[in-house]
Amino acid sequence: MNSPPETPSAADRPAVSDAELLTAHINGDPHAFSEIVKRHRDRMWAVALRTLGDPDEAADAVQDAFVSAYRKAATFRGEAAVTTWLHRIVVNACLDRMRRKSVRPVADDELIEAAERETPGPDQTLEREVSMEVSAALKLLPADQRAALVLVDMMGYSVEDAAQVLEVPSGTVKSRCARGRAKLAPILSHLRNRSDLSRVSSAKGAELRDG
Amino acid sequence: MTGDTHYDLDTLADLAEGLLDAGQARQVREHLAVCDPCGELLADLAAVREVLAATPTPAMPMGVALRIDKALAAEAGSSRGGVGLAQAPDWDELMRDSPWEKTAVAASDEPAPEPVRLGVVADDGTIVPARRRSARRPRWAVPAVAAAAAAAVVGTAVVSTGLLASGGGTVAPSVIAASSAAPAVTTPTEVPVRARAYALTDSQHNYSDENLALPLGKFLAPAPIIQGPSEAEQADKCVGKLTSRTKFSVFAVDQGQYNGQEAIVMASRKSKAAKRIRIDVVDPFSCKNLRKPAMGRW
Repeated sequence: MNSPPETPSAADRPAVSDAELLTAHINGDPHAFSEIVKRHRDRMWAVALRTLGDPDEAADAVQDAFVSAYRKAATFRGEAAVTTWLHRIVVNACLDRMRRKSVRPVADDELIEAAERETPGPDQTLEREVSMEVSAALKLLPADQRAALVLVDMMGYSVEDAAQVLEVPSGTVKSRCARGRAKLAPILSHLRNRSDLSRVSSAKGAELRDG
Repeated sequence: MTGDTHYDLDTLADLAEGLLDAGQARQVREHLAVCDPCGELLADLAAVREVLAATPTPAMPMGVALRIDKALAAEAGSSRGGVGLAQAPDWDELMRDSPWEKTAVAASDEPAPEPVRLGVVADDGTIVPARRRSARRPRWAVPAVAAAAAAAVVGTAVVSTGLLASGGGTVAPSVIAASSAAPAVTTPTEVPVRARAYALTDSQHNYSDENLALPLGKFLAPAPIIQGPSEAEQADKCVGKLTSRTKFSVFAVDQGQYNGQEAIVMASRKSKAAKRIRIDVVDPFSCKNLRKPAMGRW
């Protein structure tokens, strides 16, 4: 992974790389894997929580993923970054869970209902409010679009990195993102006028419009 | 089509993502230049990206992290014969069947005869009780052997074989009997009695699990005892909470740190006759345990 949020700054980059830790783990170092977990658990949690939209489900998925990674560490061939490999396992654990629960695509009228339903509580902080609305909105998307948007728009990974994690071509990631954003736009549009977001998003909109 | 037909969100999203071919893209842009409603839609699409990017991604909650550590420790135990991860297990879960968890019941008016449960021998030779209600949290429950391995790894679960094996008091009736007769306030000989029922010190010592496995009197007794109520409110609150939960009498409390974090260390025991003490390390603000309660010595 080479996108900015993925790589710690040069100053605090750990002396031992993830790949070295994974090798140490395969060779029987009992502490190596827990170091890998410690380094990446927050990001894995964020991905699972946003993809599944439910903390219990996310906890199960991340646990399954780490245990699975622990078991099949020896099959890691080093063709991708350890983080990409871990993300892939986590995302697949999430997608498996969603498939098992057979999340159905949402009809348009439900999307409209969801847009009308939102009535933020008076005492919630803006951040929490936005977070809850986003979570609820993401749940309305089909699993593959949700996974793509979580990686690219929420976690800030490049389309190429997300494509590696999801094991699909970059073009597929782009089109899943586009479909997902088109579905979310009516639901989240009212957030556009929030003071902290409006400035930057209209600037971005203008930039896109003007090509 | 400019002026009379609008574009839908899908097309505009494709434009933004660069998925339209050059001709189509030019056509849509020409329309956007003159159509405000479509321009609004495009801005909505851009806002989706901004909102998603601005949504905070919380850190993994401690409970989930502990769960995962435990699952991995169990995994390590099953594949490597007991080598676990150097992480704290979920002590609440592990210590659920410990003698003190049942003390309140045993000491109350219903001395329901509890069958002695078999313990499991951990790798280091200590005995931990077999789990009784392993189905309560089935999703991440680990087998007793794995729990034992995890407990052994932490190194703080220095448990008394006799105490734990005794379960509900069938084997060690003397301890239970002594407790019901014991006075509410007990004070060790090293610490003089003050207005408070326990000796409160403020050593600011940074405790580790290693020190807490040593006789605790070594750390607590030498520190000057605080008598004023001013700084002691939190300690009093945490002591009160512990006492109401365990019915043990707290006899020494120290304000310090645990692994660099502000902490209150409380030593309590069932009765003055008890050889072993219970050690609780809690957060001074929430009174929540920072590590699992453990048996120790004074």
